[in-house]
Amino acid sequence: MAFTQAKGRILTDEVLDEELRDCFQELSNVAVGRAADLLARLLNNFVIMPIPVVNLLERSELSMALSSVQDAQSVSAVCQGFTGSKIAGEALLIFNDASFTDMAELTHFKGEITEQIELELLMDIANILIGACLKGLAEQIDVSFSQGQPYLLGQHINIDELLNKNGASWKRLLTIELPYRLEGRAVNCDLLLLFTEDSLNVLRDKVSYLLE
Amino acid sequence: MSLPLLIVDDSSFARKQVIRALPKEWEVEVSQAGNGEEAIALIEQGKGEVVLLDLTMPVMDGFAVLEEIRAKDLPAIVIVISGDIQPEAEARVMKLGAVAFIKKPLEPAVLSQVLRDFGIYSG
Repeated sequence: MAFTQAKGRILTDEVLDEELRDCFQELSNVAVGRAADLLARLLNNFVIMPIPVVNLLERSELSMALSSVQDAQSVSAVCQGFTGSKIAGEALLIFNDASFTDMAELTHFKGEITEQIELELLMDIANILIGACLKGLAEQIDVSFSQGQPYLLGQHINIDELLNKNGASWKRLLTIELPYRLEGRAVNCDLLLLFTEDSLNVLRDKVSYLLE
Repeated sequence: MSLPLLIVDDSSFARKQVIRALPKEWEVEVSQAGNGEEAIALIEQGKGEVVLLDLTMPVMDGFAVLEEIRAKDLPAIVIVISGDIQPEAEARVMKLGAVAFIKKPLEPAVLSQVLRDFGIYSG
């Protein structure tokens, strides 16, 4: 809840009680751990584990859920839908464009960092982080998700443009924000998992036995 | 006398899972902390002879707790239970003095075995 306080306002959430929020946060924690492990192996760089931030937000409040990249002048992002077991959502991976220099270095890319190279880096990281995260989450609640093709939301745009481009028009969303950091590197990226409001009810049922 | 056992995790759900995973016959006096600072305070009060420690926490994370325990030479046996499964994370906590590293999600059998291995629980 840190970012809501930092923003000087408290979000009203009628549906997401503290026990459920805490449960989603912990399930996410385990899932992002697996994703972080894969990323660390790929880049040979220690990943500072994000503390998942779970919220139920109005669509208009979504930019507030992007605490780690919201000050970035320019970002690039990919989006990937997922669905399964009556749960549906989208995963957004958002990179601060300032991250690409270090990202290229970590992947031993030498040469000019063109938009095409940035896109490849973005897609590679998205495939790893989104896939591992969703799988980790799904396994713990005994469901399986199928993922759509990842697609580019935009390159070198600002956060507001980005969020306008994101096609989903759900009114309220369950959001899980995972701000990844690479130790000793200027890499800022946010993985944002968005679930439809209907999914929340399914998720609540799925975790109910864990909360007994 | 029961053994003072401290469970440290920012998630109360995770702390509950750890408590459920404790060996049934084990006589312990359980205390809980939601972050590293609370944990250090409780260890200093003698509430944490054995500490089951999460790593990823706000305010003060598990790595910092281990550093503090070492710096203050506090008498605590620390077992890390973490979702951060990077080999480097395990290497770092072992170097900082943890006796064992257990991956989340926690399996009760694994916890019992680790406790037996270190002679903390003999059931």
